[in-house]
Amino acid sequence: MRLIVSADTHLDSPIRSVALRNPALGDRLKQASRDTFRGIVDLAISESVVALVLAGDIFDNDFPDLKSRAFLVTQLARAASAGVPTVLIRGNHDALLDHNAHGALGPDIHLLHKGNPSVEIAGVAFHGLSFDSSHIADSLLPDYPAPIAGLTNVGLMHTSLGGSAGHDPYAPCAEQDLLAHGFDLWCLGHIHTPFERTSGPVLAVMPGIPQPRHFGERFGGCVAIVTLGDGPPVLERRSVGHLRFVEAELDLTDCADQSEVLQVIDNALKGAQDPVRDTAVRLRVLTARHTTDDLHALANELLESIDRVFIDKVKSFAPDKPTDDNADDLVRLMREELQEAGFQQANAQMLEELRIALPADIRDALSEDALDELLEDAIAEVSLSLHGMDAQ
Amino acid sequence: MRLNRLDLTRYGRFSDAQIVLPIPEDDTADVTVIYGLNEAGKSTAFTAYLELLFGMKTRDHPYEFRFKRSDLLVGAELDMPNRGRVVLQRNSKKTQSLLDDQGRPVEDTYLTAALQGLGRDDYVERFLLNGEGLRKGGARIAGAQGDLGQLLHAGVSGLTGMASTLDQMAARADRFHKKGGRGTDLKRAKDRLTEIGQELRATRLTPERERGLAAACDKATATFDAADCELGDARLREAASSAAQLWYDRSEDIRVIDADLLKLPDGPDLRKGSTEAIARLVATITEKTLRVSEADENITALAKDIADHPADDAAEAMAAELAQLDQLTIDGAPLMARAATAVSDLGKRIADRNTLREQIDQTLAGLSVADVPAASLVVGPEKLEDLAQAAQAVLTAQNAVETITEGVALAKEQRGEAPPEPQDLSHLQAAWDTWQTVADVTAQQNTVTTETARLATAVVVLPKVWAELVDAGLPARETLIDVARTMPSVAADLASAQTEHKKCDSAYRLAQSKRQADEAAPSAIDLATTAQARRLRDEKWVTHRGAMSAKTADEFEAAMHGDDDAHASFADGSEARVQLATAWRDEKAALVLRDKSQERFDRVTQHHSELATQSSALAKALGLAPDTSPAAFTDRYTALVQAAQTAAHLENVKAEFVVLSDHRSAADADLKTAAKLAGIEGADSDLASRVRAALTLQDSVRQTWAQWSRAKDAITDLEGKAAQAGSDKDTADHTFAAFIAALPLAGRTAQDLIAALPHLRNLHRLHSDHEKLVLRIEALEDAVALLSASAARITAMGGDVNDPEADPLAVIEKVRIRVARAASTTTRREEAQRRHTAETTARKAATDAVDVAQAELSDWFKDQGAEDLAATARVALLAKRDALRAARNAHDIARKAARGGAKAALFDEELALLPNTSRAAEVQQLMVDAQATRDLTFEMHHEAKRLYQEAFDAADRSELATEQATIREELRTGARQAAVLRLGVLAAKGALRRLASERRTTMLRDVEEAFVAITAPAWSSVDVWSQTEGEKLVGIQPDGTAVPVEMMSTGTMGQLYFALRIAGYRSFARDFGPLPMILDDIMETFDDERAKAALQLCSDIGRSGQAIIFTHHAHLVDLARDTIEGVNIVEMLR
Repeated sequence: MRLIVSADTHLDSPIRSVALRNPALGDRLKQASRDTFRGIVDLAISESVVALVLAGDIFDNDFPDLKSRAFLVTQLARAASAGVPTVLIRGNHDALLDHNAHGALGPDIHLLHKGNPSVEIAGVAFHGLSFDSSHIADSLLPDYPAPIAGLTNVGLMHTSLGGSAGHDPYAPCAEQDLLAHGFDLWCLGHIHTPFERTSGPVLAVMPGIPQPRHFGERFGGCVAIVTLGDGPPVLERRSVGHLRFVEAELDLTDCADQSEVLQVIDNALKGAQDPVRDTAVRLRVLTARHTTDDLHALANELLESIDRVFIDKVKSFAPDKPTDDNADDLVRLMREELQEAGFQQANAQMLEELRIALPADIRDALSEDALDELLEDAIAEVSLSLHGMDAQ
Repeated sequence: MRLNRLDLTRYGRFSDAQIVLPIPEDDTADVTVIYGLNEAGKSTAFTAYLELLFGMKTRDHPYEFRFKRSDLLVGAELDMPNRGRVVLQRNSKKTQSLLDDQGRPVEDTYLTAALQGLGRDDYVERFLLNGEGLRKGGARIAGAQGDLGQLLHAGVSGLTGMASTLDQMAARADRFHKKGGRGTDLKRAKDRLTEIGQELRATRLTPERERGLAAACDKATATFDAADCELGDARLREAASSAAQLWYDRSEDIRVIDADLLKLPDGPDLRKGSTEAIARLVATITEKTLRVSEADENITALAKDIADHPADDAAEAMAAELAQLDQLTIDGAPLMARAATAVSDLGKRIADRNTLREQIDQTLAGLSVADVPAASLVVGPEKLEDLAQAAQAVLTAQNAVETITEGVALAKEQRGEAPPEPQDLSHLQAAWDTWQTVADVTAQQNTVTTETARLATAVVVLPKVWAELVDAGLPARETLIDVARTMPSVAADLASAQTEHKKCDSAYRLAQSKRQADEAAPSAIDLATTAQARRLRDEKWVTHRGAMSAKTADEFEAAMHGDDDAHASFADGSEARVQLATAWRDEKAALVLRDKSQERFDRVTQHHSELATQSSALAKALGLAPDTSPAAFTDRYTALVQAAQTAAHLENVKAEFVVLSDHRSAADADLKTAAKLAGIEGADSDLASRVRAALTLQDSVRQTWAQWSRAKDAITDLEGKAAQAGSDKDTADHTFAAFIAALPLAGRTAQDLIAALPHLRNLHRLHSDHEKLVLRIEALEDAVALLSASAARITAMGGDVNDPEADPLAVIEKVRIRVARAASTTTRREEAQRRHTAETTARKAATDAVDVAQAELSDWFKDQGAEDLAATARVALLAKRDALRAARNAHDIARKAARGGAKAALFDEELALLPNTSRAAEVQQLMVDAQATRDLTFEMHHEAKRLYQEAFDAADRSELATEQATIREELRTGARQAAVLRLGVLAAKGALRRLASERRTTMLRDVEEAFVAITAPAWSSVDVWSQTEGEKLVGIQPDGTAVPVEMMSTGTMGQLYFALRIAGYRSFARDFGPLPMILDDIMETFDDERAKAALQLCSDIGRSGQAIIFTHHAHLVDLARDTIEGVNIVEMLR
């Protein structure tokens, strides 16, 4: 008896990468979340699972768009007509699943919520509670039903658990409390990086986002297939994403000339190739001579002859000096300058001006947290540009 | 750190070479000049030094041509801080490439600490200065606009592109975002995001929008339903109108038909199909009557044909016998065919068999075995071939034994007696080879002569003192080109400035005259005069109002007139005053222009004068007249340089001639010693010829000895081959004997057997042919016998008498013809009989058909009138009557159906309106209008449904969402990069200010000292100006004129850059200790005075640390000796 567990599909949320400037990739991935969701339904049908489980954040938009709901209903109806029912709960992005406002989803599609927290399918009792508002500060676990004796009990919960970097705390819940509730399996959602927890025969699985939308979600791209039987649940993960994000670290410091530089970059890009899916590569390059723009141009030139690989971002780093950099006056003095109140004031003013000029939703790119990294990059940029200029 | 010695152990063309840089004595500068002509290996040595410090290139090494890369090895002795004197080596391995003097690996940190953590690039940037770097650096620091921080940084780091770097970084940041900028990446992206947002919002299917679309859909559906209903009503009206019209029209038609029917015969309607049936019956009667006549004629003719062809009773039995005969075979072939061949070929085959028997007997006789059965000597081709090979092998082996035995005897005879062995004269040969390479010094002597002539040609256009001019130092070529390029433009500027000044002065004087003329004009009364007149009038009025006397009245009147006149004059002179004001402005403007032109004229004059002075000095330095045009300077410079180079080359050639002569003397001595050892004595004068003769004789002896040795080896080889041939012959004899024993040919030799082989092959062929022919003759005789028996039997069947002598084939052929003819007659008779029967049957059928048709015809016309008409005419008339009746009935049915299909009330309304010619059009118009309304509402309904569906299906704008996400990601990246660039520029500028502040005291002093030393007397000091945008470095000339850096000439900026680098070196040495500074031909374009000054500065570097100067100019070496006390000179030879 098997289930497919997914969550955080974020339907109609586009992929966020400069790599999409490539027309071929852009065309292929403009409906990435929908294509991936279709693939999940196909997988559920081909694997003949008992049920497809969706643990919240099926939608992405803060505003309701019935097109997304229509797509979801169409796909889940397709699964239902093939004999695969769906059990799902609302996450913090799922206003479109409000059954009071928009009605039921259809036959064999079970939305669990406070008024209807459980459903039994083929000897498995599914229990779940949905988000009724966009934010829930308290744990939902005390409101979950008790396990039903004689059945396999599976819980669905959208939660940040004990907290996760990059994710706001939603319906927080201690892992040990969750695992001790009495259910055999917990299907979780909200955190986009997949992981699992076990306690004796109990398994809690966070399936992760099935289609990563940016480099920060690069560890996602899969769904969980859980086999329920006499023993503890058995977990298997399957890749479903159409695009993956990877990081490649390059060291150009030993390259004697341009041909060696090209060879190193070429090796890295070809090493990132995947036979069945597109790959967006983030290059982290150790170099004393090449700026980010130079490297970007070289990589793009090479990609003309490499299929299914694209550049997400390029970042260059100057190598660490073998000893302290006292001899490098400019770097030393720039570091001292960073400590000056006058510089910090000018810096803050400049950053604020730039930040204000940006659209509100991307101002976090210049947040206070990023300042130290920006300053280090600024010093490296001056050094690289200056050496590059004199090498001309 | 100091470099004491560089070891080029295996590197480039060097093998175990060393460059020693001795430690100077106390109080002398640590300067080493490494001198070598081009290709002497200076660059190789410099690269080796860098690779020792920082590791070797790991692939495609440029210096691996003599030694493989894996064998390359360099080393050095270094004085290192805290470690003392150490010897290190470097090989080309990727790891552990740094070794100590024992070849043991040493950590690289050993060196990096001494190098203060500098990488290879940093070291090269800071501690290498070459001519190109000096020129480029000079040009680039102009971009610093005198910024003190940037200049000092350039001096410290060797990096000169700071200004461009910061400008480019700022420009890149501005491209992304600039306050108020309209064409920035950010602005464009935000505009696009706004557009995308609007489009996405417009296509978003919110619940409200979905409800709106659904309501619109419902409303359109209701409207469409109403219109559809109206169309239905209109259609009913149209149907009723059409039905009424049809009722009216058909009723009229029925009335006309009733009148026509009264004129036609009465009777029931013809049955269905009666017209066609009657026509068919008439045709049948006609056709069948004709057929009866035709049958009677045919029956008579066929009866006669049957009587003319009676039957042959014996033919059938004969045909069966022939068929049986045709089935018989003999040896698999049909008997008939075989018998025909047998009769014609039998005699010939028997004759052939007899001939073959005779030939076999002759062959056996040829083999001398006439009494032996042929079959015992018949041997198959393969076995016969084996027998031939065995015989041939016996003969071949016999022949080989004989040939080799003869060869051994001949070789022994030709070898003869052993000659004497040659003597070892290798020493003499080596000495002779060396002597020959240096024997001829004429070519070098000719070169000296040629170069002497070239020098004479080169100096013919030069003054006699050209050598002194060169020794005194030539001006820099760039300076000459600069002056030559500048002089014409300055002269043109001077002429232009003079012309302009004259023009401006004239304009000023003209404006001044005009102003003075306008000022003197009476109409130029001003406002003050008017005010004065008004004030006087007011005073007089006050006085008159108090006194009211005639006098005061007159005075007031006079003042009043004066005031009126003043006002009138003021009013009249307003234009003149405007003109005067304009004249003042024009005069002032002309004065400003004149002053500016005067200033420009003075400045250009001064510049021209300075340039002329410089030109005179340059002409003098080049040995030209002081007033020589600068355009001629470069040619003279080139001639002087060429002469100097030719002279230097001549000296080199002479030196090489001396070296060659020395080598010749040494080779003479070596040859004499070697000759003595070889026993060659005698006078020196003909030693060479005696040595040559001895070596020639020795060559001849060596060749003879080698020839005899080769013959000896060949005889040994032949003797071995003879033994092998004997063994091969025994084997062949044995094999042949085994073959011959199986045949009745005992005692025959291999030679005999080879002679008998053609007979044996022929015997095999003849015997095989004879056997085949015997079998064939037997088969033919059997066939002829069988055929004769058959012929006798078949003759008896036909009732004829058999003739035993007759040809059986002819008899059988005759019977075949009889049988064929009887068969043909039978076939014709039977066909006539069959046709006779058929015709009789057909005649009876035709007679019966006519009778039946006549009966049916009577039945069709039963109870009908018009009996007097022929059947076809009668049925046509009755059919016309029936058609009228049917039409009437149809009209009646149609009008009733029309009335039944229409709504009764509407039908009655419409019928009441008839006849009416316009009614149909009116009803049609009603219908068209209703249809149009219905179509319109249908489209609206369809569109509303489409919009509703499209909102779900087609409104997905994921490409826009993708573009939106992409732009946001680009903005995120771009914003971050712009922030990095801005922060970088801010930090760098701050750092440069700090650098200026930190180093200005010590470095400025060093810069000034170096700059003045190298540029004296043109510059006396440097100064720093504090300006809003920061501190700026300026050069001070002896007259106190301050010149910003960016206003300096290219050459001066290069010299300033040199001074900055020297100051930077001193600064580094003060802070971290000295490192070797490499100066690679930086004085190539300096005149001697500046070169001396530069060398003096190098001497200063040598006092702070270690200076290593590479040059290929001999005169710089001399200058260095003169300028730097204790300088070390290392010469590298090619």
